[in-house]
Amino acid sequence: MENVLEADGLGKRYGGRWALRDTTFRLPAGRVAALVGPNGAGKSTLLHLAVGLVRPDAGTVRAFGAAPYENVATLADIGFVAQDTPVYRDFTADELVRMGGKVNRRWDATLARTRLAQLGIPPRKPVGKLSGGQRAQVALALAVAKRPRLLLLDEPVASLDPLARREFLRSLMGSVAESGTTVLLSSHILADLERSCDYLTLLQGGQVRLCGDVDEIVAGHLRAVGPRDRRPAGTVIRERHTDRQSTLLMRTDVPILDPAWTVHELSLEELILAYLDDRDDRDGRANHEAWGVAA
Amino acid sequence: MIWLTWRQHRKQALVTLLGLAALAAFVVPSGLAMRHAYRTLGAAEFSDAYGSWALVSVLFLVLPLLLGLFWGAPVIAREVEQGTHRMIWTQGISRRHWALAKAGLLGGAVTVLALVYGLGLAWWYWPLGQVDPRETRFAAVFFDMQGVAPVGYTVFAVALGVFAGTVLPKVLPAMAMTLAGFVGVRLAVALFARPHYLAPVAVDQLVQGSSGPPRGALAGSWVLAKEVRRADGTFVTSGTLRCPSTGACAGGNELGPGAYNHQIIQPGDRFWAFQWIELGIFVALAAVLVWLAVRRVRRIA
Repeated sequence: MENVLEADGLGKRYGGRWALRDTTFRLPAGRVAALVGPNGAGKSTLLHLAVGLVRPDAGTVRAFGAAPYENVATLADIGFVAQDTPVYRDFTADELVRMGGKVNRRWDATLARTRLAQLGIPPRKPVGKLSGGQRAQVALALAVAKRPRLLLLDEPVASLDPLARREFLRSLMGSVAESGTTVLLSSHILADLERSCDYLTLLQGGQVRLCGDVDEIVAGHLRAVGPRDRRPAGTVIRERHTDRQSTLLMRTDVPILDPAWTVHELSLEELILAYLDDRDDRDGRANHEAWGVAA
Repeated sequence: MIWLTWRQHRKQALVTLLGLAALAAFVVPSGLAMRHAYRTLGAAEFSDAYGSWALVSVLFLVLPLLLGLFWGAPVIAREVEQGTHRMIWTQGISRRHWALAKAGLLGGAVTVLALVYGLGLAWWYWPLGQVDPRETRFAAVFFDMQGVAPVGYTVFAVALGVFAGTVLPKVLPAMAMTLAGFVGVRLAVALFARPHYLAPVAVDQLVQGSSGPPRGALAGSWVLAKEVRRADGTFVTSGTLRCPSTGACAGGNELGPGAYNHQIIQPGDRFWAFQWIELGIFVALAAVLVWLAVRRVRRIA
């Protein structure tokens, strides 16, 4: 399958800190992919690299086979909605659509106007006076009007209430289903992603922890609960223990036949949370020292 | 980009034009009145009536700075502060294109504004420059308000503002940096560079018979240093001493015959040469700042 977005050994450094390090992943065409990770995991950095806002410090990133930094041809194929859905707040929605036509060669103003009309966005009101959800819809309409082959969205629903969030995702899914656009959507609101995404990239500490088809990932993991003193065969990813009992997050590479273990399927949300739940002990101790309290 | 630039900056363009109109409402009638008075009144009467206006004109020195603060600094700083640079720089045009279009359109508008304002004020100031020969148009502060120099200051102030916006991604700090940078560079140039644009000239004039307005090379000149010397060239004091050709003169008689005023000057006929050099320096600085700003824009995310 053709890959829309490819990263190899990708790294980006801000000052002395690597925001993203040694990242390798593929985004196949036609997917709606979730980019998940805690705050500061490098989600925005990855998206900025993909849309060519920043240049990598290590490795390569390619969109449609070309490096996106300062590449107008590639930029024309990518729609991008940055974090907090920035638009010129003193412009009206209609003026923003007009602006899009001035700064893009391919621009479907009718598509944008139709979308905004359907969503009930007033055309002659400064967008700064619209609600957060409406402003996000305007930003999405602008990105979609480019008729992009790849749509990158950086936490588009983070600041929206649940109703506006659902409305936003529904209209997003509606538009990409028609056009077959590939989507990469970063978020930490997991419940929404489970409903809308079929591909997952999990970032943590600037590195990719998990990347692939959602169904395969879910089918490939299980939670096993059993006695503390025994251990089933197979790959253990995370473990948590009480006095007598162990809870393990495992890959399903080896079947667990021991009747002492009960096996549960995981939802995507549980799986992601289990992956993210590994607070590094050393970091914890250093931070306790920084606060001047006992660990 | 033309439409976008106009749409984004039309409000400040309007405010600026209103400000200029208000300024013109003062400058044009008062300038005409002043010229009329200058033609009809004697020099002394004119000086009494309008001499203090020269001080009013000092206020006009801050106008280039205001343009730098309100036109220059927000251009990039506001985009970054509100995050809209991530929206506009990911559309179908390159950042270079965006930056050059903005620099060209805003730079052009600012240059026109600066020409109108700078040349208009030079026209207004002209009679005042004739009032007191010692307060020549060449003197510091007054030099800075006339001719083509204000055009250079304005272009420089705006370029500095734009550059500050690429260094500090918030409007207010960028404005502060513009303010400090503008005042600093202007002072440095006026105090340290301007006296040396062309090699100064030494003029010696006898103390005896030197009273009255300056004559010869001294007329309209910019005096950089002055001292009184004895006939044999020994230093007596700084400053000047003027005595009539005959009769007693306080301090003059003890020096003996042949004492002279030694002055280092820039002759008055160099005024325009200095104006063009000043303009050249500030336009060159502005060009460097714009170039740096366009370079930096490509690194901001």
